[in-house]
Amino acid sequence: MKKIALSLAIVFWASSAWAQAAATVKVVGEVLTPLTLTAADLAAMPRTTASAKDKQGVSHSFSGVAIAEIFNKAGVTAGKQLRGENLAKYLLVTCADGYQVVFSLAELDSSFTDRVAILADQEEGKPLSASTGPFRLIVPGEKKPARNCFQVTTLAIRFAKE
Amino acid sequence: MRGCYRTYCFVVLIGAALFLGAAMEKGADGPTPYTLSYPAYFGNRINTTQDNLLTVEGIGLGRRLFYEKRLSANNRISCGSCHQQAHAFADDRAFSLGFDQTPTRRNSMSLTNLLWVRHFFWDGRASSLEVQAITPMTDSHEMGQPLDSSVRKLQAVAGYASLFAAAFGSDTITAGRIIKAITQFERTLISDHSPYDGYIRGEYRPTAAELRGIALFFTNNGPNGGVGGDARGIRGAGCGNCHSGPKVFNETYHNNGLDSIPPDNGRSAITGMDYDRGRFRVVTLRNIALTAPYMHDGRFKTLQEVIDHYSEHIRASPTLSPSLKDTANTPVNLRLTSEEKTDLLAFLRMLTDSVFITDPRFADPNDNSKK
Repeated sequence: MKKIALSLAIVFWASSAWAQAAATVKVVGEVLTPLTLTAADLAAMPRTTASAKDKQGVSHSFSGVAIAEIFNKAGVTAGKQLRGENLAKYLLVTCADGYQVVFSLAELDSSFTDRVAILADQEEGKPLSASTGPFRLIVPGEKKPARNCFQVTTLAIRFAKE
Repeated sequence: MRGCYRTYCFVVLIGAALFLGAAMEKGADGPTPYTLSYPAYFGNRINTTQDNLLTVEGIGLGRRLFYEKRLSANNRISCGSCHQQAHAFADDRAFSLGFDQTPTRRNSMSLTNLLWVRHFFWDGRASSLEVQAITPMTDSHEMGQPLDSSVRKLQAVAGYASLFAAAFGSDTITAGRIIKAITQFERTLISDHSPYDGYIRGEYRPTAAELRGIALFFTNNGPNGGVGGDARGIRGAGCGNCHSGPKVFNETYHNNGLDSIPPDNGRSAITGMDYDRGRFRVVTLRNIALTAPYMHDGRFKTLQEVIDHYSEHIRASPTLSPSLKDTANTPVNLRLTSEEKTDLLAFLRMLTDSVFITDPRFADPNDNSKK
């Protein structure tokens, strides 16, 4: 009896720990409107595609929402506003495993570059794999895939303050 | 003119009063600011707080409190009981014993180079050292004592009031000050005198095995995860993907393939996210030869067993680290040769810092042999 009770307790504990929280991407920092984007939010936004090579050099097609579109929704300085002190702003991307990468805002802005970085939620028309999704950054044209980071959780816009 | 003179006197008097006030608040010989010293190759992404600036007196008090057994419910254990200098401030048990002999839930972590850690515990749940320190002190099966009890016990010990006065400007003993002093001391536990540091500084000539171990450790593994797949034909174990750079540390969380169904959910218990199941914080490998047994549950008794794990025993699971599987999501064992294992061990032993573990500044002040 004791064993059964213990087993039930373990199952209850395990399942309660597994009450799955919904994955989101937070957009915070130097924004006019902080966002917490869900999968449904991204699905409802204008969609675009981007391709990137994996570690073996094989190209894959991803779809999602352009970072510029997310910036527009959050009110991040872009285009003509991206001048003066705003050029000292950067994007800090944080992923679920603690991995972090940085971009200057100019690296992602259409007035500076033609490449369109996206927050992808699909690869080859299917949801991203469990180990890379649900949200992955895809930056076309990079020689190394190190900034195409997995399981993005936060996009933080910051000022370099030195 | 006379008005001018009066104003002048008033300003001087106000200035003098302010100066005296400041001097009295700080004490005539207030705490002496302490400047941390560490190698430039560790970088400056350090975790400090303006609320707890380091002082010589604060660190001195913190060292005494770190080894103070009165901070436990039955006066039998201190922070230093489970974080022993000889073991690079870890201990040699899979699970440490609390004041009541109850084993802890996870393996005692080494307090080496905490200055570069931003989230503490195996699951990263504490975002500062100050927050972290409260848990083992007050946990009912670790030191088992509420902080206000610790305050009362220290108040009854001759000498502490003056030590708190020297560290904080007044002799009031508070829970916050106890935590601040201990964490000041912990931030000074910097290990930067290992043979590997000597190698980086050009002062130590590694053996052939150590050099091969360095290369194997830091060279990326192949595109499909195996040790032999590098495009240049150079074998790489890719250990440095997570244990990065001279600190052999990167603050990330990984499921390193210990179990198919992790008995300890790790970080997911904190975040509630499925993808964090079985993920634990990457640890620094500095002094790793001194901190056996290994992993969050102390399951591996030796470094050899740890290397064997990455070489032959990676378990598949949905959250297995992408660094440990190929693009088809299959676990990749490194399949190291016995010579390669020996070389990796030689490198890992280079990370042992005998200066750190014998430094009298970090030793128990009550132990006369180490003063």
